[in-house]
Amino acid sequence: MAFEITASCIGCNACKLVCPQKAITVGPKQYSILPHRCNECVGHHADPQCASICPVETAIVNAEGRALNPPGSLTGLPDERKVVALSKRRARL
Amino acid sequence: MGELLATQQAKIETHPCYSKQAHQYARIHLPVAPACNIQCNYCNRKFDCSNESRPGVVSKLMSPAEAVARYQKVKMRIPETRVVGIAGPGDPLANPKSTIATLKAVAALKHELHLCVSTNGLNLLDHVDDLKAVGVDHLTITINCIDADIGSKIYPWVYFNHKRLRGRVAAQTLIDRQLAGLKAAADLGMLVKINTVLIPGINDHHVAAVAQEVKRLGAMLHNVMPLIAEAEHGTYFGLMGQRSPTESEIAAAREAAGQSMEQMSHCQQCRADAVGKLGQDCHADLDDDGSSACGTSALPAAERYIAVASQSGVLIDQHFGHATHFQVYQLTQAGIVRQPDRDVDQYCLGSTECDDESLNQQQRMSTLISSLEGCDQVLCSRIGMGPWQSLEQHGVTPSTDYAMQAIDEVLAIEWQRFCENSTQGTVSSEIGEVC
Repeated sequence: MAFEITASCIGCNACKLVCPQKAITVGPKQYSILPHRCNECVGHHADPQCASICPVETAIVNAEGRALNPPGSLTGLPDERKVVALSKRRARL
Repeated sequence: MGELLATQQAKIETHPCYSKQAHQYARIHLPVAPACNIQCNYCNRKFDCSNESRPGVVSKLMSPAEAVARYQKVKMRIPETRVVGIAGPGDPLANPKSTIATLKAVAALKHELHLCVSTNGLNLLDHVDDLKAVGVDHLTITINCIDADIGSKIYPWVYFNHKRLRGRVAAQTLIDRQLAGLKAAADLGMLVKINTVLIPGINDHHVAAVAQEVKRLGAMLHNVMPLIAEAEHGTYFGLMGQRSPTESEIAAAREAAGQSMEQMSHCQQCRADAVGKLGQDCHADLDDDGSSACGTSALPAAERYIAVASQSGVLIDQHFGHATHFQVYQLTQAGIVRQPDRDVDQYCLGSTECDDESLNQQQRMSTLISSLEGCDQVLCSRIGMGPWQSLEQHGVTPSTDYAMQAIDEVLAIEWQRFCENSTQGTVSSEIGEVC
């Protein structure tokens, strides 16, 4: 039972500061969660702390790969807006 | 207003963010605070922060020790540096350990300095004593509203007491904590400045109420600043088409707020990693046609454009491939005039892509070159062979000769050279410096 950090992580360090298990590590390329340390905050808090402060949707997933903060849950932006924004960025590249 | 103690007055007069007259003093922001504990609808944590050159975000995380080293380096080059601030890129007090450690280490140098912190205020009450103890005397709190209904349109969530709060509860929690923190800080004798982002249709009718309340709680100065919202920033407001306020709306809001709070109007909305003097590039002096208020009125017969890749805004300290914008200067007989920055798409996206001559890479280079159209020269700290050759083919001369040197000094040298090579008449020498 452990969460994972995906490639959409922006490396803001917030999760590392609030994890009660000190389960989050910084590798050379990205943040990750040590599976043997993460207990999904059971016994500490009602909500998993990393997922409660993470500003990026889909950056933290559970063992089944499901995002704890699914698209649209943090920014309140409707999906089609985000698609437009992303495609604009890509078009400029 | 007007009942300031002499000691407070002195603290204001030597701080460029507080006093317009203090612009001869330089400031440095140390980006040691990446984490944030709230989300604002005008902020996109992915791009709108000093950690924006990605990938490689992780490696750019600055430790307190590195931050102090950076300060000392800048202090040597810019001795007028009198202000050390921590403003993010997240919230300083969502990163209390590194913020306090950095401030302590800077304070231990015993330089004549102002230490300041800019916060959203959520955790202020918990750390205000620590801030006072370490010697922070200038504190800025961003308070956009004192009404939770308005707040729920600005803050989608707030992380407090181990929970992600949303809606009205989130806004009310933030506001309560901001106001309590403000009072505590003012009671400890700190100079508290309030920033309010003016958002048309959301809090523009409300700034007078904010000003009145923060005045009552002991704030000293109020900075009503315009919302910046562009779709390409990827912020909620930017993508939803929320417009920025007009000049007259800003003026009206400042006047309304000015009934109870002294207003400041020279804020440059610096980034969390800003370095140097406020407004030293003098773009505030530019007329609409780009001519300078500080040069002579003679029409230039020849001109040259120089693009500069700079992360600090003061030194030529950025790799060409990492630049997301270039400062552009026009050199004429009359002097040096800062032009609007050119935003570009970052050329280098990391080591995995840098090596291959992919189609993407070529496309990026050609859009980059069109973004730099009209520039004769590009100054940067480093540049790869590929981009160097492409630039030369398009008539742009890249140079790394001035790596890590101060932009204004380099421009003065280049301007001298430009004038010597020009056959035009004599030029007065006192305008060798950037305005």
